[in-house]
Amino acid sequence: MTALVEKRTVDMQIIGEWVAPGSRVLDLGCGRGALLDYLVQSKEVAALGVDMDFARITACVARGLSVYQGDMTTFMRQFPDRHFDRVICSRTVQELGDPTGVILEALRVGRSVTVGFVNHGFWKNRVDALVRGRKVRNEVYTTEWYQSRPANPLTIADFEHFCAATGITVTRRAHLLGDWRTPCRALPNLFAGYALYDLAK
Amino acid sequence: MTDPEENEPVSRLNAAGEVGLVTPRDYVCSRPFTFKSGQVLPGFTLRYETYGELNTTRDNAILICHALSGDHHCAGVHSAEDRKPGWWDNLIGPGKAVDTNRFFVVCANVLGGCVGSSGPSSNNPETGRPYGISFPFVTILDMVRAQKLLLDHLGVTMLHGVIGGSMGGMQALLFAIEFPGFVRRVLAMATTSRESAQAIAFNEVGRQAIMQDPDWKQGEYSKGGGPRVGLAIARMMAHITYVSDASMDRKFGRRRKTSANGETYTFDVQFEVESYLRHQGQSFINRFDANSYLYITRALDQFDLAHAYGSLETAFAPVQAETLVVGFTSDWLFPPEQNRQIALALLRAGKRASYAELSTDLGHDSFLLESEELYALIRGFLERSQSNAVDFSI
Repeated sequence: MTALVEKRTVDMQIIGEWVAPGSRVLDLGCGRGALLDYLVQSKEVAALGVDMDFARITACVARGLSVYQGDMTTFMRQFPDRHFDRVICSRTVQELGDPTGVILEALRVGRSVTVGFVNHGFWKNRVDALVRGRKVRNEVYTTEWYQSRPANPLTIADFEHFCAATGITVTRRAHLLGDWRTPCRALPNLFAGYALYDLAK
Repeated sequence: MTDPEENEPVSRLNAAGEVGLVTPRDYVCSRPFTFKSGQVLPGFTLRYETYGELNTTRDNAILICHALSGDHHCAGVHSAEDRKPGWWDNLIGPGKAVDTNRFFVVCANVLGGCVGSSGPSSNNPETGRPYGISFPFVTILDMVRAQKLLLDHLGVTMLHGVIGGSMGGMQALLFAIEFPGFVRRVLAMATTSRESAQAIAFNEVGRQAIMQDPDWKQGEYSKGGGPRVGLAIARMMAHITYVSDASMDRKFGRRRKTSANGETYTFDVQFEVESYLRHQGQSFINRFDANSYLYITRALDQFDLAHAYGSLETAFAPVQAETLVVGFTSDWLFPPEQNRQIALALLRAGKRASYAELSTDLGHDSFLLESEELYALIRGFLERSQSNAVDFSI
């Protein structure tokens, strides 16, 4: 658990480096608001979160965050183009029913879009699937398939292909090794455990 | 809103965590009050209650705004024999979600009401008889302005929060629009920025039931008289809009009254739901004035922030408060969508606003629900530290 908390912190730090101080940030799937809280504290951003769950919304409200309970795509449709400086989609993209729709809508309402995801193509995951022949289970994927939410795991190669095919410009990448800390210098689809992308239209 | 359940005798007197004995007071404003309609009253009275203490900086006050049929008595009891505490007693009290150990809570009967505040049943000093429908037309704005005068009179310099459900939510929003520097937090639940055609339609049926009753007499009925049948029918119908199919089914189903003696071919009460609604109607006529019902439903119908200010975003432009809007999934009178639109417009206007939606099957009156989840949300909102005033605007 501590390892996971630490990993979450690393994730937050990189996003924090990309976020401009005082900018207007929308976090899609904001959970209990840990990332937004961090960005408010460290970058004084104007933070707004969207989540589906009442208990998580309650946690965000108690933290002093502005937050909206509902569907993220329907939510974004209510805003004019480029209303937000940055839209963040951190560890949410694999659970979206319509990832293309969400990312394109995020690129409309946001000047830039940050997507962070666990690289399913990481070598340990491949070994897991090859050797055990079972759904990947480790400190990131903690549950059995029958205890898990529907998920649509993706790899770095998948995401690069998506950006190329849809004409999305990748302005920044961060590929991290299995410790989610050390930068990955070669063959990220094989050796990176976590990936962060900054996108623009 | 519906009446609180009539519970077994109240053990709420002096009990820990309870407001206990309260005494309503009257604020008499002797300066002329000009209504939005342009009509003027030489002065007015608001009946109100307070719980908790105003702090030395006079900025820990929370104003509770009541719904159509509510009043100033939202917590505590009026006597040891009182069987029923105030209508929001589950929410307000020492250690409760609206904590009277921290906050000075104020609740007033609205202008146009009939529970001690000036309204159509008040005596017109010029004629010595009740105003009836010669009372000035009341709007939500008039209600809010009158309550602001009360708060000034009480020495409140800043509201920590304004809280209201349904019509109370409209007042809370308008408070933040009209007195932006005076309100820190707004909690609006099960409400709307404008009544839909359906909501206006229900109000109109209620008004017609009253006005078509021969005892209404163009509003000039004597005290204790009046359109009792019409008012009871208005209440019976309105009551249905405050609950839901599921909650009525759970509470009554198709259960029959035992007194029906198996008699099927009769128009006497057969089903428990009929008997319940008749009881609701009858108890309502003993506590509510028919003309007040006309005035307040009219105020509800005319409430339309987008129309009044040009657009919702323009309406919310002056707001400085942080707002939390709460919708309830089974509310079909002011459905979640109408609550959502309030939060979205506030956000588009660059304001700090949140929207939460609670799954319930109790309908519009869900905001009165005894729910730990709802209490946690409200407490978190009221007790969080004020976030940095970051400029959100476009």
